[in-house]
Amino acid sequence: MTKAKTADGARILIIDDEPQIRKLLKVTLQAHQFDIHEAEAGEAGIYQASIVHPDLIVLDLGLPDISGMDVLRRIREWSSVPVIVLTAKEREEDKIAALDGGADDYVTKPFGMGELLARIRVALRHVASSAQEPILRFGPLVLDLAQRIVELDGSRVKLTPTEYDLLKTLAANAGKVMTQRQLLQQVWGGHHHESDSHYLRIYIGHLRKKLEEDPTRPRFIETEPGIGYRFRSQD
Amino acid sequence: MKTVRKFKPIAASWAPYALITLLIVLITALLIELGLGYDRVNIVLLYLFPVLLSAVYWGIGTSFYAAALCVLAFDFFFVPPFHSFSVDDLRYLFTFFVYMAVAALTATLAARLKQQLRLAKQSEQHTNSLYALSRQMTAISDLRTLLGNVCLQVSETLGGVAVAIYMPDRDEELALTACSEADPAWGRSESETAIAKWVYRQGQMAGRGTGTLRAYPGLYVPLLTEERVYGVLAVIPPAGEAGHKGAFAAENRRLLEAFGGLTATAIARAKLSEEAKLAHLTAESERIRTALLDSVSHELRTPLATVIGSATALIEGELIFSSEDRLELLGTIRDGALRMNRIVTNLLGMVQLESGMLQLRKRWCDIEDMLGVVLAKVKEYKEHRGIRVRLPERIPLFEGDEVLLEQALVNVVSNAIKYSPDHSDIEIAVNEAGAAIVITVTDAGIGVAENEREKVFEKFYRGSRTGHVPGTGLGLAICKGIVEAHGGTITAEPASSGQGTTIRMVLPAGERRDGLERTVEEEVSER
Repeated sequence: MTKAKTADGARILIIDDEPQIRKLLKVTLQAHQFDIHEAEAGEAGIYQASIVHPDLIVLDLGLPDISGMDVLRRIREWSSVPVIVLTAKEREEDKIAALDGGADDYVTKPFGMGELLARIRVALRHVASSAQEPILRFGPLVLDLAQRIVELDGSRVKLTPTEYDLLKTLAANAGKVMTQRQLLQQVWGGHHHESDSHYLRIYIGHLRKKLEEDPTRPRFIETEPGIGYRFRSQD
Repeated sequence: MKTVRKFKPIAASWAPYALITLLIVLITALLIELGLGYDRVNIVLLYLFPVLLSAVYWGIGTSFYAAALCVLAFDFFFVPPFHSFSVDDLRYLFTFFVYMAVAALTATLAARLKQQLRLAKQSEQHTNSLYALSRQMTAISDLRTLLGNVCLQVSETLGGVAVAIYMPDRDEELALTACSEADPAWGRSESETAIAKWVYRQGQMAGRGTGTLRAYPGLYVPLLTEERVYGVLAVIPPAGEAGHKGAFAAENRRLLEAFGGLTATAIARAKLSEEAKLAHLTAESERIRTALLDSVSHELRTPLATVIGSATALIEGELIFSSEDRLELLGTIRDGALRMNRIVTNLLGMVQLESGMLQLRKRWCDIEDMLGVVLAKVKEYKEHRGIRVRLPERIPLFEGDEVLLEQALVNVVSNAIKYSPDHSDIEIAVNEAGAAIVITVTDAGIGVAENEREKVFEKFYRGSRTGHVPGTGLGLAICKGIVEAHGGTITAEPASSGQGTTIRMVLPAGERRDGLERTVEEEVSER
């Protein structure tokens, strides 16, 4: 995979009402050479997003004036900037709603800084490499999208059409969480609903059997409990 | 008796008279046909038959009518001079008199017997409905259901009357608490509530047939035990048939009084049991609060102390630490915070379980998938313990809340890690047993004492052998809560190897799983 534009210097907008969290993020992200802008409420955040044109937004879901979900919806009306949701909410519904509503990823409070940095890098790189490459490489796994061929350690892996589509969708969004609904809609088509999630489970099981050495310790396809799956970007 | 009333239209009231007339004509014709060979005494006795018949079946009026008709027929056809109502022998007048007296006596006796039978039947019916009500009352503990049942029972027993029950609300103000479906509008108006209030205050009946408001169509009965009045039961006959005096006849009033007493006792019982439950709850929450305070003060303060200590050391002694020292102190801060986070998560989980906020979001789960997440979560602190997973070739999907079940599994596996020595092995095995999925987690630790095998699943319980290991005693209690919410069981037993503990979780697998596997096999075989 060609290395994307370096993350250094990228402009990040933090929308969070807690000064402690903002301070923590500002100090650490600046130390990692990011250019930081802050907003302490939803409306102010939307305004900031429209004037500073950030490369990425870190958005808290619980804001004092309007909900984080509204902020996300309104930003999505005119911008496709990557948004990482930072939330203290533990319920899966909230995370799923945010992801389905256009967020690129989520991080729960309390969080490890390393994890947040990794998510930020993945999201930034994803934007940079949006021009689709015909060949995707993930360590020993190679997907040739032009010829619909999957190779693992140099030998070809036989996949059914559905398995291939599922793998392709996950790999094309490597590093990003894909909700069950997003996967169902992109692989099986729009008429599928979340109650069909057992299809997804079964096909993920098949993919893991074919790709993973130990399906209970997956190298490629990670489960996000209650939410969906994430294809691990190898770095 | 209500049926008798209902199915006695006016047109039918002449039917017994017509029948009796016909019978007497028949008997007379038969006697004439057979000639006068019979003695007159026999003829008189034969004429007694319709009188007795009507006495038994139709009551006094009909039997007097029969008696009169028989005397006339006897006189006309069989007493000389024949075919005339005049009498030769005056002694016959005496016969007629005796005959009428006998008819009157038998008719009265028969009618009284009938009345007694009716009363007996009614009282049996009343006893039955009282019995039914009392049986229901012992079975129902919820007050609202109980009152609804009383309304239904009273309404049924008294032939569809509308029933309303008033009870004092929180401000001791009498309000309509339950009513029957027969006439839901009744009982809500101001005057009706005012009567109910009077009855509640006085503890006396009011309404039709009582000392107060005698002309009022409804009847109000206080729900009264020996100590106090709990409320008021009010009944009114079905709309449009207000003329039914029978509904509130003396027996029915007594029945209503009995219903009232029974209901009052049931209310008293329900209130007492509520109070007892509350007292129990208070005691239990007191116990939990003490345990929680102990746990929080110890378990949360320890990591807090390390965090605060390390952080202040770093701030105040900025220059004296080498970079390794700093790293170590920072590591301590992180570990302390992580530990606190685990405790807080467990406490929150317990609160959710306790308060019934926990709602299962059931989906199809793949145990392999789930174990992947569990292993990833415990990876950081398993240190040098090996975790082996034994899965069968194929295990069906099962229905469950994957997030909660994962949490339960993480708790069990972390426990296994916590209570087993370094470099030992932990084995996770999954099996299918009938319609259930059995997950066992076996460690090589010190094991659980036999008398503690159930207690380890209790809140805040710490095993006697493991008291020195830090913990809140919440992990397994949460597991138990989650597994039981899924309709499964969780048990602790000694490991088959003799050393260590096996935690066994049995989860029902759900229904559709066979069909699920098949649909997938078809798709796979396409290619």
